[in-house]
Amino acid sequence: MGEPTVDPRKKLASLPVGSEVEITPPDGRTWHGILVPSSEFSGENVVVLKLASGYNVGLAVTERDVLTVISKPKRSRVSPSVSPTGSSGQSATAPATPWVALLTTGGTIASRVDYHTGGVRPVRDEREILDSFPALDTEGPVRVVPVFERFSEDIVPADWVLLAEKVGESFREGARGVVVAHGTDTMGYTASALSFMVRHPPGPVVLVGAQRSPDRPSSDGFTNLPAAIHLARAGDLAEVVVVMHENPSDGRLAIHRGTRVRKMHSSRRDAFETRNAPPLGTIDGTHIELAADARRPTGEPLELHTHLDERAALVTYFPGLSPARLRGSVRNLRGFVLAGTGLGHVSHTHLKGLRRLSSDGVVVAMTTQCLEGETDPYVYSTGRELLRAGVVYLDDLLPETAYVKMLWALGQTDDPERVKSLLRTDQVGEFVSRRRMERRA
Amino acid sequence: MKAGLEVHQQLATHKLFCPCPSELSEQVEGTVRRRLRATGGELKALDAAAAFESSLGWTFSYEVVPTSCLVDLDEEPPHPINLEALDVALTVAELLHATPIDEILVMRKLVVDGSNTAGFQRTALVAVDGWVEVQGKRVSIETICLEEDAARKVAEAGGEVKYRLDRLGIPLVEVATGPDLGSPEQIRDVAQAIGALLRATRRVRRGIGTIREDVNLSVEGGTRVEIKGVQELRLLPKYAEEEVARQEMLLRTKEELHRRHAKPPAGSVVDVSDLLRESGHGPVGTALKKGGVVLAVELPGFQGLLGGSTGGGPRMGRELADHARAVGVRGILHSDELPSEGIDSAQVAAVRTRLSLGPDDAFALVAHASSVTANRALEQVARRAAAAHVGVPPETRDPLPDGSSRYSRPLPGRDRMYPETDVPPVRLTSDRQERIRAQLPERPEQTVRRLQEQHALPADVADRLLREGEADRFEALVRRGHAPALVIRLLTHDLPAFAAAPRATPVPEPSDDLLDGLLRALADGRFAKEGVSAVLEGVLVRGRSIDEAAGSAGLVPISPPELASIVRAVLDRNERLLRERGRAALSPLMGDVMKEVRGRVDGKEVARVLERALDDRLEKLGGTP
Repeated sequence: MGEPTVDPRKKLASLPVGSEVEITPPDGRTWHGILVPSSEFSGENVVVLKLASGYNVGLAVTERDVLTVISKPKRSRVSPSVSPTGSSGQSATAPATPWVALLTTGGTIASRVDYHTGGVRPVRDEREILDSFPALDTEGPVRVVPVFERFSEDIVPADWVLLAEKVGESFREGARGVVVAHGTDTMGYTASALSFMVRHPPGPVVLVGAQRSPDRPSSDGFTNLPAAIHLARAGDLAEVVVVMHENPSDGRLAIHRGTRVRKMHSSRRDAFETRNAPPLGTIDGTHIELAADARRPTGEPLELHTHLDERAALVTYFPGLSPARLRGSVRNLRGFVLAGTGLGHVSHTHLKGLRRLSSDGVVVAMTTQCLEGETDPYVYSTGRELLRAGVVYLDDLLPETAYVKMLWALGQTDDPERVKSLLRTDQVGEFVSRRRMERRA
Repeated sequence: MKAGLEVHQQLATHKLFCPCPSELSEQVEGTVRRRLRATGGELKALDAAAAFESSLGWTFSYEVVPTSCLVDLDEEPPHPINLEALDVALTVAELLHATPIDEILVMRKLVVDGSNTAGFQRTALVAVDGWVEVQGKRVSIETICLEEDAARKVAEAGGEVKYRLDRLGIPLVEVATGPDLGSPEQIRDVAQAIGALLRATRRVRRGIGTIREDVNLSVEGGTRVEIKGVQELRLLPKYAEEEVARQEMLLRTKEELHRRHAKPPAGSVVDVSDLLRESGHGPVGTALKKGGVVLAVELPGFQGLLGGSTGGGPRMGRELADHARAVGVRGILHSDELPSEGIDSAQVAAVRTRLSLGPDDAFALVAHASSVTANRALEQVARRAAAAHVGVPPETRDPLPDGSSRYSRPLPGRDRMYPETDVPPVRLTSDRQERIRAQLPERPEQTVRRLQEQHALPADVADRLLREGEADRFEALVRRGHAPALVIRLLTHDLPAFAAAPRATPVPEPSDDLLDGLLRALADGRFAKEGVSAVLEGVLVRGRSIDEAAGSAGLVPISPPELASIVRAVLDRNERLLRERGRAALSPLMGDVMKEVRGRVDGKEVARVLERALDDRLEKLGGTP
């Protein structure tokens, strides 16, 4: 090999990851290791070598360094993308034993670390998911259906529609239950959307995620996903739910109604909480407990109401929000949800504007940014005046659920009064009328 | 022998990836239960050690304490690396003449024994290629790493291991020597020298368990074996000696197996429960009563090589038993220790027949309530016996208090390292390097010289203060006006004796203020130097003030008339002794008096008073010499 004539930095940039190299700076010490992807935050001209000890080191390479290439990788050693050999699409030979559909969408539970970007990336195929969860199908068949590959922050309402259709398809093909592996950030929105769109599902629709990616030994996914599969297979349940850790321990998980659940912590395993009510139930290993009001199969035929109208928004009221700003952000919308203060208030300076929007046929719905508790327009004069201005009060609906319900209601009818009526009517158990003391310990 | 040493020292900064204080705590606020699973690294290979630990299927519980937070619980991403701790590591690197890495990258080292909630330990290589001179010999330093300490194991029972989160995340500087060490004594000397250098930074934690050593050792023809987590420096040579003897035993076993043309065990496990149903052997009876099994595995060529049930020294039988224990059985029985209590020669013969053993062949038995566990245990035994054909298997061993060690798990390799993507890398700037060089602390050898000169200490005393890590406290207390001799006695005699006393819960390190108060009380004669230990006990264990502690320990100073009357009473009681032994009775009498007055009056004063009284008395009795 000897003295290179080209700049070692250029040569390094062209070498494939996995090459074995020696780098010798002018002061003598020779670094011997395997070239691995550098970190996204690495400095300029820093090359990362994996040493024989397993440690990675960042070396600032200069043009005076001597580079010797010892070997190039025979085949890529880093994250080989396994080509799917088709364990999906086996639907032609529908298995006789009850099977569960596992819809994958990307997100942490179906992610791996990307050592180049330093972040996690969605799995590329279903093999990778069964690779991470080898015992997933011990109780019976699991049919993996990749729907899309997205972090949950990249999911848009059109994806909800696609998912709802895949859920419907799975049930029509005979699935006992459906599991949706989903990123946690917007899992609550998707759960709400599926709740409104998929009516009378014959079995459970279980959304599940992980707060720690499965490449970590401590991933909560190792507890969450098998439990979700079990619930979908064995649960006496016919509604859309979210299954996640009930507390920081790997053990009992909480089952939350899709319209009542909210991510309440950025990183904890037990980030998901049912607001205003206890969770719908729990699952601990294979032991399922469900509340009396959990929806059971009724035998009614499955219906899909997937039409959404996206001309809507969710606006959080804050002190200083001027009527002009609000008007600007709801221009050309058919409806919007306000997350108001306290019992459901915005400054009285908005009364005139809201009245005009309402009379123009824009549906204005009110929720509370407190998240816990119910809105009530009758306690203060502001509320009474907002009610008279045409604002629809949505009781204790979560602002996010109200927003999703707004898209759905607007998709069902062009008549604003019908939209208001749909919004006010309990569709899938999203309203809680009775709030108990023990909820907030 | 050839050995290398890794010294792990806790730093006195906040934790490495969160702002929690690096302090232990006894205040348990709650418990969290978790499971861990081995996962592959970025090169997609599963590490042997990690796979082994994961296969055990343990549950882990973690005690939450005030000195832990969501980061320790793996409920929040790690914060950027503690730069103060990094500076200490870089200072150590400089003191060891090592070359720092341009860009420091934090790695995850897969550890699924539960000691890290995340399932990995975060560690970063900070510098390489240093050296330290110890007794005129240069020892190479291969690496200096900065890593987080693991959680503290507090209990283990029924497939569940309980850890406390206080220690998790405390920064550790790890200094690893090359395999240059040639004797057990050199291992200890180098450990002491590196310890002194680490303490020279004045940013290290003190007390039991704050510095721990791993010894990597192989003999000629052997393999590298790691004895991990030695807390007692004085036992280092002993661990090395025992490991040398163990590896030599393994090599002899290998040779003998070779000579006998023995085949490695096939590992087929046979149920022998029916043959031992009448056995009076305790564990066998218990297992069978619980509906369990006794299983056997043949060990071809091992007859006479496993070692009997008595006698010291390393034994092959213990190696097999340790591997069986690692999967959760109490132990094994092997043919070299049979027949013995409860299992007679007819039963042994029946087992041998069932296994169709030849004269050179041995067998091992495991009795357990669960046939699955018994099977797994014997699989481990067979695997270990197969490894005897290659000599010394590479492995990690736990040090035991008696100086021996026990198998804990396979030796981890590079496959268990992968990048910690949640923590950004740190580029070492020349500014940082210059600042560290400009603020280098005094080197240990300079400190020894200065102590000798400034305080007129003999070289060995100055050296001892430094080796035991007491130089700083010595100087601090002398600066507060205490006599060097008193301070030295306190630091090198009283405190180590107090710390060595066995206790159920660890006692906090005494603060400089407490020691200052103690020395002041001593100087004022509020109690005598013999009472130091009792006062420390009262203050640190029972939370009393110095005077309360002295009072409740009965250390209220004794007045000269009181002492005189106690001496008189002792002489009265021992008249016969006086008659028989005369002046030679002084030392037993001294013991009697001290029993009553210890800690309340200086021993020298007691000796003076007693001697005079004794002479008076002897004179009165008729002057026998």
